Amino acid sequence: MINSARWAALALSAALMSAPVYAEPAQVGYSAAGLYNLANAYARQGKPGMAVLNYERASLLSPNDPDIDANVSYVLASSHLPARPRGTFERVVRIASPFASSWIGVMGLVIVGVSALAAQLSPRQRWMRRLCVLLGVSMIGLAVANGIALWPVLHEGVVISAATPVRVSPVPMGDSLFELTEADTVKITAEHEGFWLIQTRAGRTGWVSRSNVAPVVPRN
Amino acid sequence: MSKNRTLGGWLIALVGVLLVSAAPAIADVPLVYATIQPAQITLGESARFTITNLGDSAAPITMPVVSGLQFEIVAHTHQIELINGTTLPSSSIVVRVTPQMAGIFSIPGVTPKSPPVVLQVNPPPGSAGAPRLSNSPAPIPPPILAGGTIPKGVHLTEDGSAYVRLGVPKRDVYVGEIVPVEIEVGMRSGFVTQFNGPPKLTGDDFTLNNSLLREPDRSERMIDGQAFVLLTWHSAFSVVKPGSFPLSAKVPLRVKIRTQPRRESALDDKFGDPFWQNFFGPSVRKDINVESPPQELKVLELPAEGRPADFHGAIGTFAIQSDVSPVKADAGDPMTLTMRVMGSGNFDRVDSTMLAHVEQWKTYPPKSTFKTVDPMGHKGEKVFEQPLIASKPGAQTLPALSFSYFDPNTRRYETAHSSPLSVTIAPSLADSALAAPQVPAGAVSADANRLAEGLKADHAAAESFVSSLTPPYLQPRFLALPSLLALAFTGGWAGTRRRKQPAERVAVRNRVAWRAAKRALAQMEAAARSDNPALFFIAARAALQQTLGARWQVAPEEVTAAEVQARLSDDDDIQQVFALADESRYSGRDLNSTDFARWMRAVRQRLLAEQAR
Repeated sequence: MINSARWAALALSAALMSAPVYAEPAQVGYSAAGLYNLANAYARQGKPGMAVLNYERASLLSPNDPDIDANVSYVLASSHLPARPRGTFERVVRIASPFASSWIGVMGLVIVGVSALAAQLSPRQRWMRRLCVLLGVSMIGLAVANGIALWPVLHEGVVISAATPVRVSPVPMGDSLFELTEADTVKITAEHEGFWLIQTRAGRTGWVSRSNVAPVVPRN
Repeated sequence: MSKNRTLGGWLIALVGVLLVSAAPAIADVPLVYATIQPAQITLGESARFTITNLGDSAAPITMPVVSGLQFEIVAHTHQIELINGTTLPSSSIVVRVTPQMAGIFSIPGVTPKSPPVVLQVNPPPGSAGAPRLSNSPAPIPPPILAGGTIPKGVHLTEDGSAYVRLGVPKRDVYVGEIVPVEIEVGMRSGFVTQFNGPPKLTGDDFTLNNSLLREPDRSERMIDGQAFVLLTWHSAFSVVKPGSFPLSAKVPLRVKIRTQPRRESALDDKFGDPFWQNFFGPSVRKDINVESPPQELKVLELPAEGRPADFHGAIGTFAIQSDVSPVKADAGDPMTLTMRVMGSGNFDRVDSTMLAHVEQWKTYPPKSTFKTVDPMGHKGEKVFEQPLIASKPGAQTLPALSFSYFDPNTRRYETAHSSPLSVTIAPSLADSALAAPQVPAGAVSADANRLAEGLKADHAAAESFVSSLTPPYLQPRFLALPSLLALAFTGGWAGTRRRKQPAERVAVRNRVAWRAAKRALAQMEAAARSDNPALFFIAARAALQQTLGARWQVAPEEVTAAEVQARLSDDDDIQQVFALADESRYSGRDLNSTDFARWMRAVRQRLLAEQAR
């Protein structure tokens, strides 16, 4: 099993050694550190698109890691692209990762349920029960808000090829409308036979080949 | 000797009389034409552009204006020509044409009905736009007049004014085959005045393309010592059914012919040539149809034997060639498979079905373009471009393509093959996002190194992994857990509530009854203070009815004096309260404060006792 330490070692050797390195593309799972180190390796090779993609993925697992934020801003700035600002709501609700938020929501559900049952069984400790219900509802609300805040990110993709053509139709010979800059982030709104229908931050839409834009959350 | 001199004098006089008498007959619509010589020059040279007006009336002649060409009139000439037996005064304007740039220029007709004249100007040898860079001499333009004879098997019309030649292959043809055909019309100068329509093929069994509507090739030739203008149309036809068919070409013309019957001409026997016959007689214009000698065309069915499964009706001689671009790409990147079909034949039946068997590739509908090298579309190259996307990485081979056709020369089916193509497909970056980047030797650029300097350091290894980046709350497997929990809690809450429901219902009813009893007690106190025994006992009975009704699970109005006597036989005070409540309404009994207090105490004790149960 290849863990993130080996990924980091491979990436480091790739960046420093002159001999070719061919790593096994094994789907062993994701870890924040592994994705972060992989993104660093791509950044060192001058591949900002793949670097930003893996930073974004690492940020899903570890949303409050300042190194991730610093490096993604640095790579975007190096590519002459603006960093994506994170609003107050997003900062608050992403205090926990979506994985922790999921379990927090489940715990909140358990607390609310137990409180409701306890109220049926015994009328005593009414204030304590109300406090527990409030806590449980807050935890569920945190999970829901996390999902709302992450929803756009889950439908985003990162341009991983330089000068990616955006076409009017989902065919290779479709007329080119404009080009995307590598490492830019776009919204993926639809898919059709190997092409994504994307929307840029400026609101322009078109079709790009799936090989040119990778979704932040891989789709099976 | 003197006799011969006398005969010659008579002849000259006769010619003069005929010329004078025939002059009014041709003084009608003027015929204006223009020629340029040479038709191909090099930049720096000049060409002679001659505008000839055959007639004595002045036709409206406008000097052409062509961008890049300079026109300069150098001479005016007037002469009388004897054409077709008539005197024809003509005038010419000689114009020097000097090009200012290289190119092909079309000089418009000098009258609205006259055709344009084309002048080709080549750049000087050695210049950037010169067509030849070698030291070979430039081709000499063909002379306008060259010697020749009437083609074999072709006959002039009776008056010698024109002929039509039909050129078709000397072999059997096949149903559906595109057969090139050449129609050559030779017109003796001065005889034919106009065309009455394009040439036509006789018979209804042929489908002729519309290339006969285009301008024909024009040349001039001396044939048997006479000047002829040759117009040649190139076209093609196809036959829809087998059989033997006579084939000929017909051209409607208007010619000048002599009106005097031949037998009345004294010179017929002496000269016998139609030209001289027309020359010495008055002429009129007449519409005639000139037809080529008929030929027998044998049309065969395509043989069923040996017909390939992928044959789709292409007849001719073809070769195919294929290539792919680029030969190295990432998975998902589009590539273009180009297939060229070259040769001659019915290109409309050359389709792209051969591209349909490219397996393990995502294909898109091909687009085709056809470049023809002749005006009929019989010879050329058809190019199919099919976008491809490789679905799997690695070394891939695009299989050889094949194309079947029928060769009418060899009379059998042939199959042309292309060579297989090898391409290398690298894994897509989007698909290998978890793979460590591959670094060839020296591939890390200086820019990348500078970029690396500003990065935060790598992190230590983590031991926790997740199988998917999709948040658990969006994964169906995870969502099953909170769903089950919610169901369990809802079920438990509902079960508990159902079990508690009867006792709770009684308690609620008791609470309601106690509140009503308390209100009735307050009314009793108010009635005692106001010294109203009737109201006091009514309020007392109402309080007891509320409480006892809740206790006995009956409606308050069902608690009557008889019911109280039956159930509370040991409580005389309560029985009396019900009796006095009925009585006080009519009796007007007076109670002192001691009585009010006693009855109040009795009712309260009963209510408290019932509430405590």
